[in-house]
Amino acid sequence: MNYIAQINALIRSRVAEESPLVMFGQNIAAGSCIGGLTKGLKSEGGRYVLNTPNCENTLVGTGFGLMLNGVSSIFFMKQQDFLLLGIDQLVNTYNIMRCRKIENSFTIVNVIVDSGYEGPQSSLNNFYDFCSIARIPGYAVSNKHDSEVIIGKHLIAPGFRIIGISQRLCRQELLQVEEGVSYDKNAEVFQYSDGKDLTVVCFNYSFPQGLALCNDFKKHHLNAALFSVNAMLPVDWRKILDNVKRTNKLVVLDDSKSVNSPAQHFIIAAQQEIVPGNLIYLSRKNEDLILGPNADLFSVDHKAVMSKLGFTSK
Amino acid sequence: MAGKPDKNVAQEVLRLRFSQMIVNQGNKDKQFKCPVHLAFGHEAIAVAVSACMKDKDGLLLTHRNIHYNLARSRSLKKKIDEYLCKETGEAAGQLGCMNLYNQDAGVLYTSSILGNQIAVAAGVALGNRVKKTNGVAIVVIGDGAIEEGVFYESLIMMRTYRLPALIIVENNGWSLATQIHERRCDIKLDLQASSLSIPYYHLEGNDVYGYIRLLEEAHSKALTDETPVIVEVALHTLGDWVMKTEEHSAGKYINYHAGAAPNVGLLNWPVIEESDFDPVHVLKKHFEPDFLEKLAGKVFADLREELA
Repeated sequence: MNYIAQINALIRSRVAEESPLVMFGQNIAAGSCIGGLTKGLKSEGGRYVLNTPNCENTLVGTGFGLMLNGVSSIFFMKQQDFLLLGIDQLVNTYNIMRCRKIENSFTIVNVIVDSGYEGPQSSLNNFYDFCSIARIPGYAVSNKHDSEVIIGKHLIAPGFRIIGISQRLCRQELLQVEEGVSYDKNAEVFQYSDGKDLTVVCFNYSFPQGLALCNDFKKHHLNAALFSVNAMLPVDWRKILDNVKRTNKLVVLDDSKSVNSPAQHFIIAAQQEIVPGNLIYLSRKNEDLILGPNADLFSVDHKAVMSKLGFTSK
Repeated sequence: MAGKPDKNVAQEVLRLRFSQMIVNQGNKDKQFKCPVHLAFGHEAIAVAVSACMKDKDGLLLTHRNIHYNLARSRSLKKKIDEYLCKETGEAAGQLGCMNLYNQDAGVLYTSSILGNQIAVAAGVALGNRVKKTNGVAIVVIGDGAIEEGVFYESLIMMRTYRLPALIIVENNGWSLATQIHERRCDIKLDLQASSLSIPYYHLEGNDVYGYIRLLEEAHSKALTDETPVIVEVALHTLGDWVMKTEEHSAGKYINYHAGAAPNVGLLNWPVIEESDFDPVHVLKKHFEPDFLEKLAGKVFADLREELA
């Protein structure tokens, strides 16, 4: 199963439990159904599927208006770029809504266009910025484990949040790990492996890079603890920091284009726990941001990481 | 006019006027921490909208909301306490003036961002459809908000899904300090409505009884035809003044926008302008002056008692 098929199956399963529910967005029941994201959603049993006009600002407001009127809803959006048109609602309407006791759910599920070759205007990989602007709960989904937990827990729950899907991962085989996966009660931080040699922490959609790095380390008989921070806002770092204290070697990966990432908050906290020089922070630099059509890859040089942390190949 | 006019309606117009005059005194004395946008001259439409609202309807307002909030929930003291950010305020001092709403009174939402609330109203109206309630989403905006893209978007959304809604456009001809002709081309709202097959009503003259009749008709149309209806209300926000400055020695006209209206006092007979711009003056078309003055005395006494 690939990533998008898994997410579609999880969404269909979860919405089948909810009524009334309004699912809306552009082309959600037409054509490819947003590349398969909303395939098979049906208007039945008190659930409504609406192919809407192209009016993003109003669509975000509509979700809040439904919430105000006691009806839960999901707004599916093909590209997070389009959400820029709804910023007023994300900030101002949400700020009013969060003052109330909210019993209904409003979730925006949108695709982060991180796949490259889209051109200067359709390569926004700045999920953190959307969430930061009004401290909106947001969740990145990268693999079998986090998709099951995050969609199960957050797709329909009292309040408002954004769930982001990676376009780059859409056609890829679903990533999963063999070992036991654990996560915190809010499904904000996931741990995929434990290890005494180093700690790897992934932000945004860098889990594939983090997993590949850990697997490579394993080949050299080095065991890494692998974490992924799925939340878009700073969270309780204690569990990761406890691990960092033990390993005293830390690699932080962040493939987003935002300079407003919780990775920065984490690093400030981690610097208190680790010997200077044992921390590697890999993110996109200004000079990496090519605005013309390009692969837009976030690559990690495994050998360089190993060398910088003082490990030698075994 | 057929039948005897309901004196309670006139009493409401007077209550809204006196209440605002009292708040205006507070503005003059700089009592309030929150900016207060008064709505002198808007009383007739607020009383008429409130009179036409049914149990299942919901009202969504703008930053200039004092007249509707007063019409929907009577306590002036709670409004004043809210503007003073007191816990005894209508929203426990948590919302202030520009975002004041009161769900128990049918005021669901209030936005200080131009046009923001019409998108939320589309969602409220869609929720009524999903829940199969017979409610109408009533959203108030100004003539400035019809320039925003969200206005057009929301009309399309409401019309596409045939959502019962009343869009009340309070057209006072101003956006802050600029008049319509100073900032934009003319917008023929009737033609814009027609292009989307949305019914349109035009109200002017501040006759609260006439407004109620037309709003009842518009409300009924929204429900029976399952459609949004635009109601454009031509009005004049009273409280303007002329200010002498170095650049304008003869005096510069200042349109009232927010805060104190310096030339509006607290009068026994609360007319601000002897013209059809003033809904209190227009009451004389239905009642003898002696009767109105007595009624005004009672309303004022009741308010003073509430605030004592």
